[in-house]
Amino acid sequence: MYILKNALVSIWRNKGRNLLIGIIILVIACSSSVTLAINNSSNSLIESYKNKYEVLATLGVNRENMMGEFDPNNKDNSREDMMNKFSSASKISIEDIEKYADSKYVKSYYYTISTGVNAEDLEAASASSSSEGNDRGFPGGGRGGMGGGMNFTNATSGDFTIKGYSSIEAMNEFIDGRYKISSGEVSEDFDSMDCIINSELATLNEMSVGDTITIIDAEDDSKTYELTVTGIFEEANEDSNTMSMFSDSVNTIITNSNVLAKMMTANSDLVVSTSPTFVLTSDEVVDNFSSELTEKGLSENLMVETNLDQVEGATKTISNVKNFAVTFLVITLIIGTVVLLVINMINIRERKYEIGVLRTIGMKKMAVSMQFLSELIIVAFVFLLLGAGIGSIISVPVSNSLLENEITSSQEEMSNIQGNFGKGNMGERPDSGQENRGNKMPGNLDKFNGVTTVQVFDSINAVVDFKVLGELLALGMLITVISGISTMVSIQRFSPLTILKERS
Amino acid sequence: MAKKILLKIDNVSYRYADAEKDDYVLKDISFDFECGKVYAIKGKSGSGKTTLLSLISGLEKDYEGSITFNGKELRKIDLDLYRSRDIGIVFQSYNLLPHMSAMENIILSMDISKVKVPDKKKRAIELMESVGLDETQKDRRVLKLSGGEQQRVAIARSLSYNPEMLLADEPTGNLDKETENEILKIFKDLAKKENKCVVIVTHSENVCKQADVIYELKKKKAK
Repeated sequence: MYILKNALVSIWRNKGRNLLIGIIILVIACSSSVTLAINNSSNSLIESYKNKYEVLATLGVNRENMMGEFDPNNKDNSREDMMNKFSSASKISIEDIEKYADSKYVKSYYYTISTGVNAEDLEAASASSSSEGNDRGFPGGGRGGMGGGMNFTNATSGDFTIKGYSSIEAMNEFIDGRYKISSGEVSEDFDSMDCIINSELATLNEMSVGDTITIIDAEDDSKTYELTVTGIFEEANEDSNTMSMFSDSVNTIITNSNVLAKMMTANSDLVVSTSPTFVLTSDEVVDNFSSELTEKGLSENLMVETNLDQVEGATKTISNVKNFAVTFLVITLIIGTVVLLVINMINIRERKYEIGVLRTIGMKKMAVSMQFLSELIIVAFVFLLLGAGIGSIISVPVSNSLLENEITSSQEEMSNIQGNFGKGNMGERPDSGQENRGNKMPGNLDKFNGVTTVQVFDSINAVVDFKVLGELLALGMLITVISGISTMVSIQRFSPLTILKERS
Repeated sequence: MAKKILLKIDNVSYRYADAEKDDYVLKDISFDFECGKVYAIKGKSGSGKTTLLSLISGLEKDYEGSITFNGKELRKIDLDLYRSRDIGIVFQSYNLLPHMSAMENIILSMDISKVKVPDKKKRAIELMESVGLDETQKDRRVLKLSGGEQQRVAIARSLSYNPEMLLADEPTGNLDKETENEILKIFKDLAKKENKCVVIVTHSENVCKQADVIYELKKKKAK
C-alpha cells in the first residue's frame, strides 16, 4: 500500500516530468483512438456494404459445358443447332423458378419474362440495325454489372419485345439508370394491364401517357391484349447503339410478369425467355444453393452466377482504409513504445539517486520497481483516458469525412433510382404489388434488387465506444508495461553503493 | 558485567573487484561493537573507513572474513531487511528524498521497515522533536531545510524503526562546529539513554574526542 501512496506522492511532486510522459501517451492515445475508430467504422462500412449489396444469384449458361458437347468438326452441328441449344437452355418455367426459390438459402426472388409480340396501329422503329432483338435477348440484367442471367436470343418473332417484371426489384434498368421515366410513372400495380414505352416509340406513334396499345401474340393473331401506357421512358445515351438512329429499347414494351403469364396461359406454345434472380441469405450459402438447384433438376447447361465479385470490389476501398488504419496504429504503437522506452531510460538515470536512497534504507529491488511501474501506469491510465476523450472528439469528424462520400453517393444513388421510376419518394407509396412477388419477395420498397437505403449512415454517434476504449486501454497498458520493463531491469542492475558514491 | 557484542568484524579483508590480487582496501580487520557506546572509526582519506561502513551496513558483501550481527553472518541474512530494521544509516550528504517533506521521509522509512506503529505521524513528530526539530518543519520539503536540519531529519529517519545500531558516515562533515556538537550530543544520548550502538566514521578530532571507543584505520591495516 505504501508503494502506491509513495507513487502518488512522487507523481504529484514531479509534475513536470510526468506531464512530459503524459503528453507522449496522450499523443499515442489520440492517434490510436482515431485509428481504432477508423478501423471500427471501416468494419461497420464493410458490414453495411454486405447488407447493402445482398448476395444475388442468377442462372447463366454454362458455356464451357455446352461448347464441350458441340463438335465443330461435325458437319451435322450447324450454328443453328448451337443457337437452338442455347435457346432451349433459357427455357425455365415460372414453376421451376418457384421450385428453386423454395430454399432455406433464398430470402426472396424476382424474375423477368420476355417474348416477341406484334401490335395494332403501332409502328415499330424500322432501322435495320435497331436492336429490338438485342434487347429481347438480354432480359433482366443485373445491377451494376451483374450478369443477370442468360444472354441468348428469344426464338419468338415479332415487331416488338414485351418484357414483364415480377416486381419493382426486378427492374434493373431503372435501378441502374439505363432507363429513366420522362413522363408518367412505372405502375406499381403488378396485376394491371399497364405498360411503359420508349420515348422514341411514343414520338414515332404520337403516343402519350394514358393511351392504349393492343398487342398481338406473335404466334397466334387471334390473341390480343390491351395495355394502358402509364409512363414513357428514355434510355441512357451511353448504352445506345451508335449504328442505329434508335435506342436499343425503342421497340420494347415494359409491363409486369402477370401480362406475360396471361399470354402464356392463353397460348401454351408461346416461347418466352425467363431470367430469375434469387436473393441469398449470405455469401456462404452459394455452393449449397448451387448443389440444391442441381438436385432439383437444374440443367447441366445452366450454372449459378453471383455478384460476390461486385460486393468484394465495392468493399476494396474501405478495406484499404482499414488496412491503412491498422498499419498506422501498429507504427504509432511501435514509435510510442520506443519513445516511452527512451524517456523511461532517461527518467531512471535522473532518478538514480532516489533509487539509491530507497535501496539504502532497505526497500527491496522489486518494491522499488513496482513503485516506479505504478507511477508509469497511473500516469498512462489518466492520459489514456484523456486521449480517448480527445480522440473520440477528433475521430467523429475524421470518420464522418471518410464516410461522407459513401453516404452522399449512396443517397444520390437512391434519389436517382426513385427518379428513374418517375417517383418523388418511393418509400411513401403504397406497397401494392407485393402479392405478385411470391411469398419470399421483399416487402420493403426501399430495397431494390439487393440495394438497401443508407439511412444507417446518416450519422455516427459514438465512434470511440466501449470496445475502442477497451482496446485503447489494453494497447496503452501493454506499451506502458513494455517500456516499464526497462525501468525494472535498470533498477535490478543498480547498486545503491555505487549510486551514492557517484552522488558524493 | 560485559555488554553484549552486537556486531563483530572478524579478520575482514576487502578489495575492489577490478583491483590487483593483493591490492586490498581493508586487510585483516577485527573490531567488536557493543550496545550503549559511541564508536569512532577514524583514518586518513583512502584508509577504507567508508568501505568498512559499507560492509557493516550490508551494502557490500564481497568481503573475506566474517561480519556477524547478533551472531548472524551478514552474508546469510536478508540485507534489505537488515538495513530496514536492524541498523540505521546516516550519511554525510543526508541522502533524503528531495521531493518529500521531512515527515514523509521519516514515515516512508517506517513503511519500508513494516514496523507496527499505531500513529506514524505522531511518532515522526516525536522523533523530529527528539533531534531538535520543531513541528513547524515537518511539512517542509527537505531541500528547504538547512544542512543541520537535514542531518537531524536523517537521524530521525534512521531512528524511526528503532534500530539497535546507528551507522554514521561523516555525519558532521558538512556542518559548522556548533551544529556538529549538537548532532554529537544526539548520538551520545542515543547510546547512553537508549542503549544504541553508534558507529561514526570520521576524521574529525572533535568527534573522536567524544567517542567512547576509537578505531583507527591505516592503509591496509587497522591499529
